[in-house]
Amino acid sequence: MGVWPDTLLICVMFLDVLLLVSSRLGVLIRFFAAQSLVLSAVPVFLYPHMNVHTAVVSGGALLLKGILIPRLLFWAIRNASIRREARGLMGPAGIFLSSGVLMGLSFLLSSLLPLPVNALPEFLVPAAFFTLMSGLFLLINGTKAITQVVAYLVLENGIFLFAVVLLAEMPLIVEMGIFLDVFVAVFIMGIVINHIHGAFDHMDVSRLTLLKD
Amino acid sequence: METLLIALVFSPLLPGIIARTKAVFAGRRGAPLLQFYYDIHKSLRKGRVTSDTVTWIFSAAPSVLMLAAVFSSFLAPFGRLKAPVQFTGDMIFLVYLYGLARFFMLLAAWDTGSSFEGMGAGREAFFSCLAEITLFADFLILAKLSKSLSLSEMIQQSSALSWRQAGPALMMVVVSYFAVLLAENSRIPVDDPATHLELTMIHEVMALDHSGPDLGWIVYAGAMKLFVLGALLVSILIPFGTGSLFFDRALFLAGMAALGVAIGVVESVMARFRLDRVPSFLVGSFVFAVFGLIITFARGV
Repeated sequence: MGVWPDTLLICVMFLDVLLLVSSRLGVLIRFFAAQSLVLSAVPVFLYPHMNVHTAVVSGGALLLKGILIPRLLFWAIRNASIRREARGLMGPAGIFLSSGVLMGLSFLLSSLLPLPVNALPEFLVPAAFFTLMSGLFLLINGTKAITQVVAYLVLENGIFLFAVVLLAEMPLIVEMGIFLDVFVAVFIMGIVINHIHGAFDHMDVSRLTLLKD
Repeated sequence: METLLIALVFSPLLPGIIARTKAVFAGRRGAPLLQFYYDIHKSLRKGRVTSDTVTWIFSAAPSVLMLAAVFSSFLAPFGRLKAPVQFTGDMIFLVYLYGLARFFMLLAAWDTGSSFEGMGAGREAFFSCLAEITLFADFLILAKLSKSLSLSEMIQQSSALSWRQAGPALMMVVVSYFAVLLAENSRIPVDDPATHLELTMIHEVMALDHSGPDLGWIVYAGAMKLFVLGALLVSILIPFGTGSLFFDRALFLAGMAALGVAIGVVESVMARFRLDRVPSFLVGSFVFAVFGLIITFARGV
């Protein structure tokens, strides 16, 4: 299997920690995009003989979560002009320490969990647990609506990793994950629309150019 | 002996390289690379002025600092060059050698009775105490990877064997160790060595009352500390020997120069952290070390 899947998975966990402590919305979104890019490479390395299934899952994750959703989020924070710092409830030192605890916990959990599939990379399940947990942590810790959306997406990344475990056997879960993605996209749109709606009473952004005093 | 000579001769070059990198980033020509040699030479020629209120500790501190720097250069591997003094647990000796030097520097700073220096000393004590945990977590990882408790063995074996097997864990070591390196040597995200009259400075403030040769030795010892601690990082990062002794040394020195450039780049692109954020920076580096530790133990290599 080689060292690559594990290295990628450790990159994912590294990015989880960075996601937890980053205090700016733009940085948060960039880290999320980076994590999704790394994630989408995992199935390719895990299942070397490419079939349509892996290609679709990888490519879908790459396109949707690595490129499309980050763009959408950037567009959203630009449009709704929410560029402020996303300060959480807990300070950075506390976050760092609790992320260490969560990481230990996820390794512990995965060692206790019997899986129906063998010959997996060692860090796949811990990385999935840790990504799930950091998504949850972000969700609790965040105070801004956009942070919650990113937290939700990180949570989804964790689910994606779990789905990769069973990729060969259970395609339904993967598809559910992708459905979740689409749902999140709608969620984001909802927020943006809400913002614009609250400010302008209509949805036509192009009409903004006509504003004069 | 050779490691001592290398450290003595090349260490003032490292801050020179850092300063030059920063100058290039800022679009200036910058001081000559050998500026620190001139500075140290100038300081050593001068006479010393001491306050009437200080005790012998104030004068002893620069000597202790320099001695600690000299001894530490015996303990650290320089690339493929093995350390002349090796014994089980020498990394603890190395860390507390610097601890001793720091202790004397703190006492000397408090000895002057200046509240300003006392403040800097207090901060130094606080931050170094946080950096130490990370340092030992890193040493634990290396010891676990190489199954050895001697610094040279630890670093050379683990970097030779493990970049392929335990690359991720070593990567965590490199990241967290680099943060410690910056903190221990009072470089930018923690302390700004270029400021002399700002309230956030830590290391510079403790040497404010030292003059002439005393100051020269402190600067020299600081450069040697940066060199020796940097040498550990470079030795981890260079995973192979070229076979010939000459090329090994050249590779090591090139690595040190690259480290100087890297620190210069970090200092150019980052601002110093607000003082109350430094602890979370150090705690963060500790968490990355713990991360590496978990990975190492989970894999069981």
